[in-house]
Amino acid sequence: MSEVTTPPQIAGPGHVEASGRDLNWWRVVGRYGAILVLLSIIVVFTVLEPSTFATKDNAINILNQSALVAIVAMGLTFPLVAGEFDLSVGYQASFGGVLAAGLIQKSGFPIPAAIGTVLVVTGLVGLITGLIVTRIGVNALIATLGVGTIVLGVNYAYTGGLPVQIDDPEGFIKLTFNSLFGIPYPVYVMLILAALLWVVLNRTSFGQSVQAVGGNAEAARLSGIRVDRVRVLTFMIAASCAGLTGVLLASRTGSGAVDGGDSYLLSAFAATFFGSAVLRDGQFHIVGTLIGVVTVAVGFNAMAILGLDTYYQYLFQGTLLIFAVGVGTVARRQAAARA
Amino acid sequence: MTPPVRTEEGGGHFGGRPPGALLSVRGLSKHYGGIQALDGVSLEIHAGQVHALVGANGAGKSTLVRILAGVETADEGEVSLGGRRVSISAPQDATKLGLSFIHQELNLVPKFTVLQNMALNYEGSRRLGLVDWRPVAARAGDVLAQLGADFPLDREVADLSVSQRWTVSLGRSLMRDARMVAMDEPTASFAADEAERLFAIVRDLAARGVAVLYISHRLDEVLDLSQDITVLRNGQLADRHRASDVDRQTLTRSIVGREVAEIERHEGSPDTVRDALMRIEGLVREPSVRGVTLDVRRGEILGIAGLVGAGRTELARLVFGAERAASGTMTLDGRRFEPKGPHEAIARGVALVPEERRSQGLLLKESLAFNVSLASSGQNRWRRGLPFLSAGKARAVAREMVERFAIKAHSVEADVESLSGGNQQKVVVSKYLRCQPRLLILDEPTVGVDVGARAELYEIIRARADAGTSVVMISSDFEEFAICDRVAVMREGRIETVVDGPHATKDTLTSLCYGTGAAGS
Ligand SMILES: Nc1ncnc2c1ncn2[C@@H]1O[C@H](COP(=O)(O)OP(=O)(O)OP(=O)(O)O)[C@@H](O)[C@H]1O
Ligand SMILES: [Mg+2]
Repeated sequence: MSEVTTPPQIAGPGHVEASGRDLNWWRVVGRYGAILVLLSIIVVFTVLEPSTFATKDNAINILNQSALVAIVAMGLTFPLVAGEFDLSVGYQASFGGVLAAGLIQKSGFPIPAAIGTVLVVTGLVGLITGLIVTRIGVNALIATLGVGTIVLGVNYAYTGGLPVQIDDPEGFIKLTFNSLFGIPYPVYVMLILAALLWVVLNRTSFGQSVQAVGGNAEAARLSGIRVDRVRVLTFMIAASCAGLTGVLLASRTGSGAVDGGDSYLLSAFAATFFGSAVLRDGQFHIVGTLIGVVTVAVGFNAMAILGLDTYYQYLFQGTLLIFAVGVGTVARRQAAARA
Repeated sequence: MTPPVRTEEGGGHFGGRPPGALLSVRGLSKHYGGIQALDGVSLEIHAGQVHALVGANGAGKSTLVRILAGVETADEGEVSLGGRRVSISAPQDATKLGLSFIHQELNLVPKFTVLQNMALNYEGSRRLGLVDWRPVAARAGDVLAQLGADFPLDREVADLSVSQRWTVSLGRSLMRDARMVAMDEPTASFAADEAERLFAIVRDLAARGVAVLYISHRLDEVLDLSQDITVLRNGQLADRHRASDVDRQTLTRSIVGREVAEIERHEGSPDTVRDALMRIEGLVREPSVRGVTLDVRRGEILGIAGLVGAGRTELARLVFGAERAASGTMTLDGRRFEPKGPHEAIARGVALVPEERRSQGLLLKESLAFNVSLASSGQNRWRRGLPFLSAGKARAVAREMVERFAIKAHSVEADVESLSGGNQQKVVVSKYLRCQPRLLILDEPTVGVDVGARAELYEIIRARADAGTSVVMISSDFEEFAICDRVAVMREGRIETVVDGPHATKDTLTSLCYGTGAAGS
């Protein structure tokens, strides 16, 4: 057993081999499955309901419906990428709405000043959350639940539990009802924010740091990243985005309701988790989140066109989430097994 | 335990070969995407023998072990045990067949205690579905005592040092009486004393008739321990040797496919009286660092030798700001240096290549390009003054590093997780070299790196030092200190002595580390 075979020539340094010689179908399913769901809903309804579903107005309508959830969800994406949960975003959105309406109505703030104040104040709440998590070391799930509940209490204290009506709402309402080139303002806000947040997350040192902290906090720290600071900033981004959604919500309704934005919590989580199964292998990202929001909105819209009861929407949303994430998980497992 | 087959002499040589192989592998192949990790490899392992498996980084050694362990499935090929063909499709199958494994990467549960970790996978401890801890604890205690462990069974693994974790991992594989034990670079993170203990265990296993598959890049121990040596190259079987028939040089050539110069001893330049870049005075952090005073000169390579628990890693972490010192002072370039964290150290030009690549060095799910640029992303600015990063620059840097360190990867976009252990290590080193530090601290930089790449790494480090960077190198492989200008010997949290490069031989350093030597500089 001591024969010596002639050694084959070794590859040179930096030898790079061709990849993707054989396509891995499970990987394709895992990454694009969620998009296929969206596309198939669109195709099916375009065929079934060409006159109501497949119209420009309806498309704009869907995007407009998506905008407010999308803003919360994209903000929430940051703490999720950094590996933290934020359960306070729904209450923060309500808070943003109440505060905006209150500042305009009760304190006579001009609209831009009111918006600016809301963004700063919610940002500060995020700062406090972040400090509780990083300095004291309270688990983010609990810290954000606690802060969220306190914010809810503040909402009640500030309003006495009644919606804050704006007497002369016209200027404020314009924010969400006006449009430019036929497209309502909130759609622009959503798209501009998406572009901005995408660049921040993918093309800045800060964004790299957020991803690194989520991937391996200790390795990130030893790479010179200020892990705690990054975590705090992600909570601030999530909070301010929720605040902004609150403002837009108040503008849409002409008033600030104590619990107006609470339901955004679940929608935003659903969208981000759905999005984590889009294009990537279970990582949260901005584009995925956006697709998650739009998919749900398209589904709701289709059901409304069919005249289905509201409860179908919830059945749909829940099923969709489990289906997309489930398929992604199974596909990833299969892809790994057959890599 | 009764040995299934017994060789005539313990760790026997020619005469003692039993008739058939215990485990034989025929035509094993495995590919990952476009990479052929294993290509028709055949191998026979005999009871009572140590069979070494060697090869360059990415040659396919770990892949073979993972297939035997049932962690991965082969595309083709068959495995027989004791002459009968077996199918190993899950780790439990391997366990049932009496195969035991120490994988290259630690896979302990950090939140579990030492005992809990060692009980994982330990059959026979369950009664009516409940774990009966007493026999497990007794067995675990015995195994750890044999390994010279100095920590209690109820300690959480998260609180152990890296080499202690390896001891647990090793112990876990020795819990059951196995017919074959496969060890994938078990000594990579061990210092001399721990390695010696491991060798004793390996010899003992062989003497009791167990077959051992032994993977290592440390060729001296391979030649010392094994009888048969199989060399893999690019997934293929390249050579087979009898350990008694080859010398280190031949083996190296057979692994790398070309001549590799032995480490050249660095003869310090005459002007060794350069001034200090960093001065450390009375640095304390109990219990491991107890008053360290040391100068690091400009442009020198300073080695730090020591045994496990000497406090070398902790000292490095204090200098890097990964931990705060209780007392003592440091100056860098004459100015106070008290980093509040690694970010401050890096900002002032101090970098540390950490000890354990997977938990401390890498984002396994991110790409090679992402990892290489992580500590220096500021240099990837799209344009100066703008905060935006260029993905193209990150890729370009990564390609440069792939070239320079001969990292084997199918592209710079590949997840670091898919690289072989040694190639992952090269990624960590390149990440910190990219920071262009003035003081570069390397904690076991060559762990898992093959002989050829190791020589190249020394060259790169030497070139950096000659260009003015000060380098501090911690290593458990004392032969590596040949490239140093000076070597400090650390024992029980203090610097014992500093030896000049030409005198820093393995023997001198070893006796100094044990505190038995009288030699000095
Ligand atoms: N999960 C994976 N996905 C893709 N490629 C992989 C995967 N695991 C291993 N490879 C590739 O297979 C080849 C062999 O890897 P393997 O880990 O067996 O090398 P090795 O001989 O153990 O090297 P080292 O000495 O560095 O530990 C490498 O090129 C590696 O990149
Ligand atoms: Mg390996």
